[in-house]
Amino acid sequence: MYRRLRVCSNGGGYEAIPHPPVRLDLAKARHALEAEGVAVVDARVLLIAATDPEVTISQNGRLLFKTRDPKAAEIAFERLRGLLGLPGLEASPP
Amino acid sequence: MARGVMLMSGGIDSPVALNFVLRQGHGMIAVHMDNRPFTDDSPLEKVVDHLALLRARYDQPIPLYVVPHGTTQTTLMRSTDRHVGCILCRRFMWRSAERIAERENASFLVTGEALGQVASQTLSNMHSATCAVRLPIVRPLIGFDKQEIESVAKALGTYGISTRPGVCCQAVPDRPATRSNLIQIIREEEMLDVDQIVDDCIRKAVVL
Repeated sequence: MYRRLRVCSNGGGYEAIPHPPVRLDLAKARHALEAEGVAVVDARVLLIAATDPEVTISQNGRLLFKTRDPKAAEIAFERLRGLLGLPGLEASPP
Repeated sequence: MARGVMLMSGGIDSPVALNFVLRQGHGMIAVHMDNRPFTDDSPLEKVVDHLALLRARYDQPIPLYVVPHGTTQTTLMRSTDRHVGCILCRRFMWRSAERIAERENASFLVTGEALGQVASQTLSNMHSATCAVRLPIVRPLIGFDKQEIESVAKALGTYGISTRPGVCCQAVPDRPATRSNLIQIIREEEMLDVDQIVDDCIRKAVVL
C-alpha cells in the first residue's frame, strides 16, 4: 500500500511513499510510460515522466508529483497506478 | 573594481553572499544552473526575484545566465557513483561559472557556501569541487552560521523569496559523501567527456 499523499519537505509537490518499501523495475516502468506516449528521462535510479503534473518515480517506489494541487496529485497517482500496476493508497481515517 | 561571477541557487545563502560583494562595489554577473527536470520552476523564479531586488538596491544591471544542467545531472546519475554525485555536480557548476567568467572578463567566482551547512559544504568536498577551476573563489559567508545568514536575508527582503515552496533537487543521493577523495572524483570524471558536457551547457545558456 501507499501511504496517503503528503506535501514534500520543501512544499513544492506531493509525495507518495509505499509501505512496506518496494523495489520498482524502472526499465519496465519506462517502457509502460513510453508505450502510452509519455516522454521519460531515465536517470538509472529514478525516472522523470512528463505527465501533467510531472512525476519523479524512484526505484524505492517513492513518487513525487510536481504540483501544489492535492486533487491533481491524486488524479495523477491513480493514473500512474493504473499504468504501472502499483498498489493503492491506504484508506483515509474515518 | 574587479568583476565577479556569482552562482545563484534560489536558496537563502546566495543572495546574501551576492549582497556583500555588491556592497563592496564589484560588478557582478549571476549564473543559475537550471536543474530541471530534477527540480521545478521555483529555483529559477526565486533567482529572478532575488536579482530584481538586488539590482534595484545597488542600481546594477547584474546579467543572469541561466545554464541548463538537467542533462548533465542525468549523465552523472547514469554514469558515475551516486555517492559522490553532489561533488561531481558542483564541479560542473563551477566549470560553467568559470567559462562565463572568461566570456564576461570576470576575475573571480563567488558562492554562498558556509562551512559545514550541508553535505556538499564540508572542507574536503569544497576542495574536491573547486579543484575543477582555476579562478579564485570568494565565499563571503564561510564563517556565518545559519541564523546569521537568515537574519541578513530577512533584512534584505530575500528571505521570503527563498523560502517559498519548491521541489528540492531529486538528484541528491540518499547518502551523499561528506569526505570526498579527489582521486576518486577524477577517476569518475574520466568516464565522461567533461569539455563536451560543459560546451553543450554554455552553448544552450540564455541571458536574462
